[in-house]
Amino acid sequence: MHNAKPEMRTIFIIILILFFAFLIAPLLALFFRSFVTDDGGAGFSNYMEALSNNALISAIGNSIKVSGATAIITTTLAFTLAYAVNCTRIYQPLKSAVKVGILIPMLIPTITYGFAIMYTFGNQGLLTKLFGRNLFEIYGFNGLLIGYVIYTLPAAFLLIHNSFKYIDKKFIIVSKLMGDRTLRSFLNTVVRPLLGALGGAFVLSFILSFTDFGIPASVGGTYDVVATQLYQAMLGSIPDFSQGAVIAVLMLFPAVAGVILLNYLERFNFHYDKFSETELTPSKFRDSFFGVTAAIVLLAMLSVFAVMFITPFVTAFPYDLSFTWQHITGIFQSNDLVSVYRNSLIVAVLTAVLGTVITYGAALLNARTPIKGKQAVDIFSMITNTVPGMVLGLSYLLLFNNSSLKGTFLIIVLCNIMHYFTTPYLMAKNALTKMNPGWETSGELLGDNWIKTVYRVILPNSVSTVLEMFSYYFVNAMVTISGVIFLVSAQTTVVASKINELQHFAKFNEIFVLSVLIFLTNLLVRAVCDALQKRTAIYKK
Amino acid sequence: MLELQNISKQFDQKVVLENIDLKINSGEIVSLLGPSGSGKTTLLNIILGLTRIDHGKVIFNNEDLSNVDMKNRGFNIVFQDYALFPHLNAYENIVYGLRNKKDTASAEEVREYIEFLELKPHLKKRIGELSGGQKQRVALARTLVTKPKLLLLDEPLSALDGVIKESIKERIKSIAKEFNLTTIIVTHDPEEALTISDKILIINQGNISQFGTPYEIINQPKNDFVKDFILRQLQIKRQNIYNLFGEKYA
Repeated sequence: MHNAKPEMRTIFIIILILFFAFLIAPLLALFFRSFVTDDGGAGFSNYMEALSNNALISAIGNSIKVSGATAIITTTLAFTLAYAVNCTRIYQPLKSAVKVGILIPMLIPTITYGFAIMYTFGNQGLLTKLFGRNLFEIYGFNGLLIGYVIYTLPAAFLLIHNSFKYIDKKFIIVSKLMGDRTLRSFLNTVVRPLLGALGGAFVLSFILSFTDFGIPASVGGTYDVVATQLYQAMLGSIPDFSQGAVIAVLMLFPAVAGVILLNYLERFNFHYDKFSETELTPSKFRDSFFGVTAAIVLLAMLSVFAVMFITPFVTAFPYDLSFTWQHITGIFQSNDLVSVYRNSLIVAVLTAVLGTVITYGAALLNARTPIKGKQAVDIFSMITNTVPGMVLGLSYLLLFNNSSLKGTFLIIVLCNIMHYFTTPYLMAKNALTKMNPGWETSGELLGDNWIKTVYRVILPNSVSTVLEMFSYYFVNAMVTISGVIFLVSAQTTVVASKINELQHFAKFNEIFVLSVLIFLTNLLVRAVCDALQKRTAIYKK
Repeated sequence: MLELQNISKQFDQKVVLENIDLKINSGEIVSLLGPSGSGKTTLLNIILGLTRIDHGKVIFNNEDLSNVDMKNRGFNIVFQDYALFPHLNAYENIVYGLRNKKDTASAEEVREYIEFLELKPHLKKRIGELSGGQKQRVALARTLVTKPKLLLLDEPLSALDGVIKESIKERIKSIAKEFNLTTIIVTHDPEEALTISDKILIINQGNISQFGTPYEIINQPKNDFVKDFILRQLQIKRQNIYNLFGEKYA
C-alpha cells in the first residue's frame, strides 16, 4: 500500500490523543507534583524528606527482600513445572492439570490470596488444624512470600513454558549420542537455551511482587512494603500528595529497570527456525521425580484456595462446619454487595469492549498500514508495560482530581485499558503481522475501501485473537486492585476494592463469597471465549 | 494498448528502474523476465498503481493513468500467494467484488467463468481444502469477475508443480484469447516466459535488456546478459532432456 488513507489517519489521531491524555499527561503530572514543595516552589525537598523517612527506607528494603526471595522461588518452581510438562513423559492428564491448574490464581484478585492464606495457615487455619500446630507466623514476610509466589507463578510458568516450545528437543538426543553426561546435557540443551526466559521469569516475578498492593493489604501485618507506604501516604489519616508522588516515582524506578532488563534478556533467547517433534527418551527416575514434584506444587497451591470455596458454605469456619446457604443468600440480599458486583461487571465489560477496540486499532495501524509515525504505538505500549497499576492510578488521581472524570466508571475503565495495554496489543500485532500482506490490496481492487476490507476480511480472520484480547481485558479488570484503589468512589466501588474495606469489619464470609463470584464470572467468560474460539478455529487450516 | 514512457523509480537513493519505455498491444501476453532484484516486480506494481513512479508516464488506451489511484485504473492482479480470504469458501471468494459493484458481472457470466475454469466441484470448499492449482484458478476467477482491462499475474506458476504448471499455462493463454485480455506476467523462469508469452521484456538491474518475441530472443540475443543468463539456462535444460531421451527426439 503506497499511501495512508484518511480513515487510518483518523484512527491514528484518536489513539495519539488517548495516549497523551491518559498516559503521558498523568505521568508528567506525577513527576511535576513530586517536585512541588510545601511552600509552592520547586525542588528536591520532597525527595530529601522521603529519603530521611526511616519507615519508607525500611519498607523499600523489605520490598526488595521479599520480592527477591519470591523471584528465586517462583523461577525455580515455574521451571520445574515447565520442565515436567515439556521434557518428561509423565502421565498426560497430570500435564494438562498443571497447565490448567496453574492459571487459576489469575482469575482471583490478589487481595483474596491473603485471606485464603490466613484461613489456611493462621491460628484456626485449615492446614494448621490438620497439622495440629502453627506452621509459621503468616503475617509479614512469610505470608507475603506465599502470596507473591502464588501470584507470580502463573506468569512465570507461561513465560518459561512458551520458551520451551522453541527449544529443539532433538538437541537432547544429539547431546546423549555425543556422550554427554546428564548434567552437561541438561545445562547445554535445556538451561542454556532457556537462560533468557529464566532471567525474564525472575525479573517479572520481582516487578509483579514489588508493585502489588492486594497481598500486603491483606496479609502484610506490620511488615511494611512500598505499596502499603504509598497507600498510607495517599489514603491514610493525613493524605500527603507530595509524599505519594515521590513514593510512586520511587516505585517506578525498579519497574523501568526491570523492563529494560527484560528487553536485554530477550537476546539470550534462542530462535530455532525449524524444529521437529521428537520423542523423548524414557527415564523412570526423571518422570517419577518430576511427576511427584509437579503434583505437590499444584496441590499446595490449590489447597490454599480450598478454604475460599469451603468457608462460604459452612456456618462458622472453623468452629461450626455444618453446611449452609446462609452466607450466599446473605450476599444476594445485600443491595450494597450486589451493586458492588454489578459495578465490577460494568467496569470489566466496558474495559474489555473499549480496550479490545483501542488495542486492535493500534495494532492494525502498526502492523498493516504505511502510516507515518506508527512506531509511536510501540513506544506507548512499552511505557504502559513499565508503569505499575498503583503508579498509574495515583497519577490519574493527581491529574483528574478536579475534573468531571473523578469518581466515574470511565476513569477506572481508561486506567485499566492503559494498565493492561501491552499484552492484548502484542497479541493483535502478532496475529495481524502473520496474515497475508496482499489482502488489503486485493480488497481494494475488488472495490472495497480500507474500512470495508478490515471489516470483511481482516476482522473475520482474527476473531480468535479478538476473543483472547477480550477475555484478557475482562479477567484483569475483574481482579485488579492496585490499578483502581485510588480511583474508586462510593458509587463506583468494585469487588476488589470492596474486599479491602470489608476486611476492616472482619467480614470474611462476604470476602470469600465475592471472590468466588469473581472467580466463577471469570471462569465463565474464559469458557465462553474458548468455546467461541474453537468454533472459529476451522478457518485456520 | 498500454504504453510505458520513460519510467524511473528509486527507493532511498537506490535506482530500481531506469528509463523503461515500451508499448504493449491489446490482447497480448507479455512476460517481465529477470533475476530476483532486477526490478520486475516493482514494474508490475507500478503498472498496477500500487507503487508511485518518480518519472515517466503510464498510458492506457491514450489515457494518462500516472496519477490515477490503483482502485480507479480498472486493472487487477493475481498475487503469487493468491491472497485468497481463508474465512470464505471458494465461491464467496469469487463473488467478493460483486458486493461492491453488483452490475460488473451477471449471474450468468459468473457461472461462465466458473465453468471455464472448471471450478464447479470446488465451490463449497474452504480455501485451506483446495490444492495449489485450484487456489490459482479461484484467484483467477475472483479477478476475472471484476472484468479488468488489464490482467497482471505475479509469478503465477512458481508455487505449482509439474503437470499442473503446464495446464495452468494453457489456461492463462486461453483466457487472454477468449476475453481478448492484455496480460502481464512476472516470472524469473526463462522457459516459462518463452513458452507462454507473445512478447518478453527482459529486465536486468532496472534496465531493459531486450524486448521482443520468443523467436527474436532465441535467434537474435541483443547482449551478453541475454546470452549468458537466459539462453544458457535453456541450453542446459535442452541438453539434459536430450541426454534423457536421446538425440533422436530432438
